Amino acid sequence: MLKIVYGDIENSVYHPPTYFDNVYEDEWLMQDEAREMIKDIDKSDVIGPHLIESPVLGPISPKELSGGVKTLILMKYDESGKIFNASACGDNCAAWMVRLGQEKDLTINLHHVMDFSKVKDFHAVLLNTDTIVNNYQEYLEESLRIKER
Amino acid sequence: MKGKHHIIIQNNKLRYEFDIKRNLTIIRGDSATGKTTLVNMIRAAAQMGDESGIFLRCDKSVRVLEGNDWKLILSSVHDSILFIDEENRFIKSQEFAEAARNSDDYFVIITREDLPNLPYSVDEIYGIHTSGKYHDLKRTYNELYCIYSVAIANIMSMPEIVITEDSNSGYEFFDSVCKGKGIVCKSAKGKSNLKAIATEVNASRVMIIGDGAAIGPEMNELYQLMQSRQNIQCFFPESFEWIILKAGIVKTKELADVLEHPEDYIESKEYFSWEQFFTGYLIQLTEDGYLKYRKTKLNENYLHEREKSLILKIISWWK
Repeated sequence: MLKIVYGDIENSVYHPPTYFDNVYEDEWLMQDEAREMIKDIDKSDVIGPHLIESPVLGPISPKELSGGVKTLILMKYDESGKIFNASACGDNCAAWMVRLGQEKDLTINLHHVMDFSKVKDFHAVLLNTDTIVNNYQEYLEESLRIKER
Repeated sequence: MKGKHHIIIQNNKLRYEFDIKRNLTIIRGDSATGKTTLVNMIRAAAQMGDESGIFLRCDKSVRVLEGNDWKLILSSVHDSILFIDEENRFIKSQEFAEAARNSDDYFVIITREDLPNLPYSVDEIYGIHTSGKYHDLKRTYNELYCIYSVAIANIMSMPEIVITEDSNSGYEFFDSVCKGKGIVCKSAKGKSNLKAIATEVNASRVMIIGDGAAIGPEMNELYQLMQSRQNIQCFFPESFEWIILKAGIVKTKELADVLEHPEDYIESKEYFSWEQFFTGYLIQLTEDGYLKYRKTKLNENYLHEREKSLILKIISWWK
C-alpha cells in the first residue's frame, strides 16, 4: 500500500539523489524494474552497472541519472528504512510510486501536492490524517485539508 | 536589478537559452528534463570560466547559490542572477525570504515545493522542454515554457460566484459590479484562503480573481483544483491596480511603455513583487486628482459609469 506523509518527519531523506550517489549498489541497476524505470523516465538504457546510455548526454554514470529516477530506485531497493522525499520526483514518476506501493508497503514523504491525476487505480493512505483515499479526487481534496507541507 | 536578461549556456551536448525578467523565477516540472544539469553547467562555468568548456553568455553575472554558507555568499554578490537547486532547504525559510527581499539580485529557484514566503508570479513558473536538435544535430536545444499561463487563460465565461483574493479596493470594485449582474462576490481575505472557499461554494461557474504577480505559491494546488473540478476558473492579472492602469483612465506619456515593459522600470530591491510597484505607481499618478487611489478603501469615482466600463473592458470574460 502507498502511504503518503506531508511535511517534515523523522527518518526522512530530503534530497534522495545525494543519498543515492553514496549508497546505491551496482546490482540494483541490473534489475529489470530499475532498467524499466530508467528507460521510462530518463529514456536511457542500462549497458552495465557503471554505464548508462543517454540519448541526450551519451554515455553517463549512474550518478548522472535524473533525481526522479534515483529516488524511485531507492524506494524500490533501499532497505535502510529511510523515507524518501518524493517531491524530488516529477509527476512523470507518480505512476511508478503507485506501482511500487502495490508491490510492497511504501511510505513516501511529500512537500507539495503531487499530481496523481493520470494514474489509474490510485489508492493511498494519507498518514497525516490517517485517511484512505481511493481515487485522485479524494486524494486532492484530503491533501488540501492537510496544512503540513 | 532591473530589466530582462538573456542567458545562453551550452556545451557540446546541450544548449539552454531563455530570458529572466523578474527577481523571482521558479523552474519545476517532470524528472529528467535537465534542471540539475543546467545548474551543474552554471556552477562549472561560474567557477572555471572558459576553462570549463562551457559557453555562458549573459549581460549579468550568473552563478549558483547553495550550501550552508548561502548567507555569506549572498551578502557579497550583487547585481547577479543566482540559480538555486532543489536540495537547498533554506529556500523555504523566512530568513531567505528577507534576504531575497533586500537583495539586488535575481533568483532562479528549482523546486516543486510551493514557497509561501516568496511572492513569485504565475507567469514566472517554468518547465524546461526540448525543442529539438541545434544546427549541427549533435546538440539538444532546451528552453523554458510557462507552465500555467495558457491553462488559466482558457475559455473563461461569466461566473455565478466570484471569489477575490483582495479584501479592500479590488474586492469593493468587483463586489459592486457583480451586484449589478446578480453575481455573488466573496473575499477570501488572502491568497492562501482561495482554495478552501472555492471548494466550499456550490455553483456551476466559480471565478477566482487574484494578483498574478504574487499568486505563484498557490498555483500548483489551484491548478489541480481547476483540473479536477470543472466549475472553477482563474483570472490572474498582475493586480487590480494593473487593470486600472491598463484601462486608460489614467494617462501619462510613459504609462504604455511601463505596462509593455515593466521589467525596465521595476527595481527588484525596491519592489519584492510587481504588484507592489503597480500599486505605488497608481497611487503616485492619481495623487492630486479625483481618482486618488487608496488600496484600503475604493475611491467611489472608480465606480462611475465611464471609469467602471473602461476597467471592465480589460476583463475579457466580463459580458
